[in-house]
Amino acid sequence: MKQIFLIAILAAIAAALPLFLGENPYIIGIMISVLMMAALSSAWNILGGYAGQYSFGHAAYFGAGAYTTMILITLFNLNPLLCMAGGIVVACMIALITGGIVFRLRGHYFALASIAVAEIVRLSVLNFEFTGGAQGILLSDLSLWGLDLNSKNPFYYGMLLVLVVTLAITAHLRKSKTGFYLQAIREDQDAAASLGINLSFYKNRALLISAALTSVLGSLYGLYIRFIDTSAVLDLRLSIEIILTAIIGGVGTLWGPVVGALLLVPLAEVLRSNLLGDALVKAGLVSETSGMGLFLKENLAHAHVLVYGIITVLCILYLPKGILGLFRRVK
Amino acid sequence: MIQHLLHISHVSKHFGGNVAVSDVSFSVDEKQIFGLIGPNGAGKTTLFNCITGFFPATSGEVIFDNKKINALRPDEVCRLGMVRTWQRVKPLGSLTVLENVMIGAFSITGVTREAEAIARENLHSVGLTDYAGKPAGSLPIGLKKKLELARVLATHPKILLLDEICGGLNHTETGIILEIIRGVRQKGATIVFIEHDMKAVTSICDRIVVLNSGEKLAEGTPEEITNNPDVIDAYLGGGHNA
Amino acid sequence: MLFLQALLSGILTGGVYALAGIGMSLVFGVMNISNFAHGDLMMLGMYLAYFAFTLLHIDPYLSLILIMPIAFLFGFMMEKVFINRVIYHPHQNQILLTVGLGLIMSNTALLAFTSDPKILTTSYSSSAFNIPGGIFLSVPLLISFLITCGITAILSLFLLKTSTGMALRATSQNREAAQLMGINVAKMSAIAFGIGTALAATAGALIAPTYYIHPLAGHSFLLKAFTICVLGGLGSVAGAGVGGLIIGVVEAMSSTYISSDWKDVVVFVLFLAVLLLRPQGLFGKKGGQA
Repeated sequence: MKQIFLIAILAAIAAALPLFLGENPYIIGIMISVLMMAALSSAWNILGGYAGQYSFGHAAYFGAGAYTTMILITLFNLNPLLCMAGGIVVACMIALITGGIVFRLRGHYFALASIAVAEIVRLSVLNFEFTGGAQGILLSDLSLWGLDLNSKNPFYYGMLLVLVVTLAITAHLRKSKTGFYLQAIREDQDAAASLGINLSFYKNRALLISAALTSVLGSLYGLYIRFIDTSAVLDLRLSIEIILTAIIGGVGTLWGPVVGALLLVPLAEVLRSNLLGDALVKAGLVSETSGMGLFLKENLAHAHVLVYGIITVLCILYLPKGILGLFRRVK
Repeated sequence: MIQHLLHISHVSKHFGGNVAVSDVSFSVDEKQIFGLIGPNGAGKTTLFNCITGFFPATSGEVIFDNKKINALRPDEVCRLGMVRTWQRVKPLGSLTVLENVMIGAFSITGVTREAEAIARENLHSVGLTDYAGKPAGSLPIGLKKKLELARVLATHPKILLLDEICGGLNHTETGIILEIIRGVRQKGATIVFIEHDMKAVTSICDRIVVLNSGEKLAEGTPEEITNNPDVIDAYLGGGHNA
Repeated sequence: MLFLQALLSGILTGGVYALAGIGMSLVFGVMNISNFAHGDLMMLGMYLAYFAFTLLHIDPYLSLILIMPIAFLFGFMMEKVFINRVIYHPHQNQILLTVGLGLIMSNTALLAFTSDPKILTTSYSSSAFNIPGGIFLSVPLLISFLITCGITAILSLFLLKTSTGMALRATSQNREAAQLMGINVAKMSAIAFGIGTALAATAGALIAPTYYIHPLAGHSFLLKAFTICVLGGLGSVAGAGVGGLIIGVVEAMSSTYISSDWKDVVVFVLFLAVLLLRPQGLFGKKGGQA
């Protein structure tokens, strides 16, 4: 109950934020990214953190949502919400097939198989014609019930809503039979089975919840950016970013993914938009025309993945339970 | 007309070319405390794995409560009322002691509050109440064995299969566990129990089967077993041959 | 003829894949770790061969004499500094650590060498033997294949005949027992990782003359190497050798008879089919089934 309250309070604050920040589209854009990554990572956390099934292929569900929605809109001009529902159906179908194959496997094999499924989805989308292939899908203006979907605010609230729902589901799961069973599976599969837990049923249940939420986020992303291609929504790198966010915040905790996203997304943005390079120049530490200045300007944009890599290595070696794990240890 | 609760009929288990269990048969009656003994590598744990669905028997039948359960999964076997513990204890390490027992209780209820009540009851019956909030992984081995017991008791089983539940415990701890087991039987459960230590078994069991090299060597009451020359040979003679 | 052509070029390419697969399988066998940085180690081998050729004017095949010891040391150090700290951790932490190390390598390469693909063109890059019957055998692929065979033979002899090789195999069979027998398993891990890295870099160098050299090139090879390992049975060195050939042929056949766009999909479907039907691999000992 306490957690539900906390979720509600924080959600209210987040909902009010755009009013104070005015209409700065840049800030809103970053906040949308934070909310999306927090929600993606929270959805992954249900399967990866609670059930201990590290899926390295969650981009497949994100992509399923994004592609299904965009294709349905371009072909039939359906109501976006209906298209989202279509995305959930497709994502759940992929999840059921994946679950049928990979949940018989453990450890290394599960991680590898989840990548293989996601790669098959990615390459298929790349090779088919109705998916736009390598060109991707571009969407013209769209609206829903008089809402202007070309502005950012609806998506801010959309992402926030999905995040709140995901956190509420997680908070509820943690106190319910299913949540306990998932954690038992994470700790020891044989012990779990001997105590009456149907392993594949509960793993599939966690995967379906996780995949459906991830697919909704994919749909929102597609409608928000109005352009998708395989490298944006189906890449292995996205799957890995989702996991890293959870790891850094604290895997298997309610708030870990949110903390991870609050930290990583702005960091990536600072690196990507060259804010750091500009700051160094402004501070007079580096001259803009010097070799170093030019190098920073040219290359710092690529550096955010490098920084992710470094953070991951440090995190696994020194902080395997994430930032929230650190606080728990102090207590 | 005697109703057998668990009936093992000509069960064999092969791993590749190795025969781990060979043509073993016996029956366990309701409310019995049944001992399964034998030297290391006799096939006791393998037999448990066959009975509880962890790996299916190569041949033979396992009949529980008049149902053939050979092809069932472990979780299905558990929900029928047969549950086992592990020789190498398997605590759900990062969950608390209470939560571990709740996992067992969830097999008979879907309501968290009820599961917690059942779990507390069973923690109390094995004397772990004081440790309810501790992570299960942090307990010493003696308490982990008690936790295993509390966890399976919380599933309210008809029959418990205990795999060396006293292994690695000292005399006092063993005594406490045996007392708990007697109490469980009094409430109507049946117990099959693998033990290495002859003394513990003979003091508590109604009936005993001795396995040796995967085969059934002898079956009988504790007196019959302790006086059986084959058994004495397997236990004492094994040392001389080796 | 089309069939024979595909079969032969498949076997030649598969030989190089096999080398990468063997390296990964050795690491898995000895350390029980899935190395997600393996593809990036291949990428490093590609760049080493490229710079040896452009800066030092050493033939890419000759440069292996330099690349192999460098890569071995690199891998050995990488194990000592990073990998051995997670050897008893859960699988997912090991995987993530190697993912992180891979990201560092590929993105450092991206910063250092930019994302422009490099091409290593030797005088014989595009030459081919013409076998009667209209079949062409690419010269660089043929040389690569022969070198692969040589290295595999030497590695087998090393594993079978030397005391270090036997200690490696013992560690792979049963780590605890090997330790009890007085084998220094920590050292074996570092050696295995060093050899794995050397093999990955060699495979990278061998394909460098026939492939675009790019910082992110490792990605697709990583998944191929995994498929090879699973096909041969994770941890089985001989299995990985055969697995590599199978993947090479399957790829060439699907390029020829389906389309080159779908060849990777065919490989991954094969991968899942093996996991589903025969998780211990075609020749393996360690099963992965629940």
